[in-house]
Amino acid sequence: MKYLFWVLVSVFLVSCHEDDAYVAVKNTFLTVDVPENFPALVYDIEANPPTQLGFELGKKLFYDGKLSSSGFISCGFCHEQSSAFTHHGHQFSHGVNDLEGTRNTPTIANMAFFTEFAWDGATSHLDLFPIIPITNEVEMGETMTGVINKLIADAEYQKEFEMAFEEGGVNAENFLKAIAQFMVMMISSDSKYDKYVRNEAGGELTETEAMGLGVFQQKCASCHATDLFTDGSFRNNGLPPNPQLNDMGRAEVSGSDSDNYKFKVPSLRNVSLTAPYMHDGRFGSLESVLNFYTNGMVASETLDDSLRTKDGLGIALNDEEKAGLLAFFEILTDDTFINDERFSEY
Amino acid sequence: MKSIYKFLAFTLLAVFTSCSSDDDATAGLMGENKVTLEFDNSVGSDDLLLATAGYTNSQNETLTITRLNYIVSNFSLTNDAGEVFTYDKEESYFVTSEETGSTEVVLEHIPAGTYVSVTFGIGVDQEKYLQGAEGQGDFLTIAEETNMMWSWQAGYKFLNYEGTFTSETVTEPTDFKVHMGSHGSSLDNYKEVTLSLGTDALVSDEMSPIIHIVADANDILDGENKLALTEQSVIMVSEEKSPKVALNTASMFTVDHVHNGTGDSH
Repeated sequence: MKYLFWVLVSVFLVSCHEDDAYVAVKNTFLTVDVPENFPALVYDIEANPPTQLGFELGKKLFYDGKLSSSGFISCGFCHEQSSAFTHHGHQFSHGVNDLEGTRNTPTIANMAFFTEFAWDGATSHLDLFPIIPITNEVEMGETMTGVINKLIADAEYQKEFEMAFEEGGVNAENFLKAIAQFMVMMISSDSKYDKYVRNEAGGELTETEAMGLGVFQQKCASCHATDLFTDGSFRNNGLPPNPQLNDMGRAEVSGSDSDNYKFKVPSLRNVSLTAPYMHDGRFGSLESVLNFYTNGMVASETLDDSLRTKDGLGIALNDEEKAGLLAFFEILTDDTFINDERFSEY
Repeated sequence: MKSIYKFLAFTLLAVFTSCSSDDDATAGLMGENKVTLEFDNSVGSDDLLLATAGYTNSQNETLTITRLNYIVSNFSLTNDAGEVFTYDKEESYFVTSEETGSTEVVLEHIPAGTYVSVTFGIGVDQEKYLQGAEGQGDFLTIAEETNMMWSWQAGYKFLNYEGTFTSETVTEPTDFKVHMGSHGSSLDNYKEVTLSLGTDALVSDEMSPIIHIVADANDILDGENKLALTEQSVIMVSEEKSPKVALNTASMFTVDHVHNGTGDSH
């Protein structure tokens, strides 16, 4: 399961302005390693194979406030590496001019394995996702045309686009490809749990962690499925709707009443780092999340069937099981990922 | 000078034709040329004039239209032998806009032939969307600049139809907005239509036809499916109504006439 591109067809010749000599800047393809415990890649690597220069350009764009109307709000402003690329301590994403969104910033780890993006699946292609926060007036408040024009006016970006892509230079297609290359490389697969599953050193679970894993597999894994810890589906998990927002979730995309209050099942990777929780960031701790699942749920027409049992709504968990789950959540933290310098702003 | 070239070309063509033993009329059409499709927007039997006069539909609603933009795509032409020429998909996406006056679609390098029908899509198909950045190319920014990007879902508005209306119960002019597109992965509103040309469109080195298509904007809300603005004046993502808008929009096109000739006059 290794996508390896080790030969780059073209070598870019860049004119050196001082002496008109030519220096070759070599671009190289990057390897996208699919962890053996992961499902297959969804992202079509061959349509946009990550290269070293494309990735670096994507990273620069990701951390550049130029992508917003104010010039200060970058993608990385809300997607902070230390919080597994979520917005720590913020219930909602903060945008330009101190405006505030209505949803909690989701992680962008392992996006190459997903088919739908954003809490409501507003887009089904990773490449196109950045359009949503860039153009949202309470997030980055820009237009695609505006961003591209700013980049065209920047000589350094012009050079970097020319070097990263064989044709087109600074344009929307290459802009989106570069950011996607950066995101595609963001794979988090080195937690203690992964080591346990792959029988690697450092993967020995304590008794509580092992018990928690058992509880998880029995009571949570039907939705938080596979080693991505989500099946990618949209479900209503019984949160009482916040009347001030009345966020309809998936129904806002599909226009279907049967999707009311459904949101994408989030991955639980690095979950101990990604507080607050839920699409609207209403819970500050994982304890609160578990308490909600045991006794905070409200019934509605679209409540997920798996959360209706003959004993009532929700998931029955005793204190010992909760403690086990909390210990299990800890072993989903991937320190390698959150400290990986390839993805760091500085 | 130009006329000399034309004369020469014609002579060569004539020589070539006379050498051919095939007596099919189409065999005389050589080379390639462009085909122009003119999208002439109307309402009912009248020309569409933006933000000017109101018109009243069969549901007794009076509309003053201020915007009519739609995406047409995936063009193909069928000749008299039933052969289909499909235009290069990458080049086959256009925004037509009454307000900017860009209502012509020019298809380049169409092989010579006698064409009897045209097929095109309204909107952007899922196949193209799912090609990601590669598939969209510059069309994303074109769509954004013409108010055809649904930026909140990083998708396209296939139709952007806006204005004001009054009815028996809505007496003050009230805004209406009809934005139709696909709903993420859950509902595909892309439609294709095939229109018979009536008159054969002849393409050759010498012949570049103009196909004059009339789009009757009345059909969008008042076609086969009746949608009353009084009931809902903003129709965007509605699982029930947007597919009806999509069907109505796809049926608003008819070929009015075809100009055969050099392509420089109507």
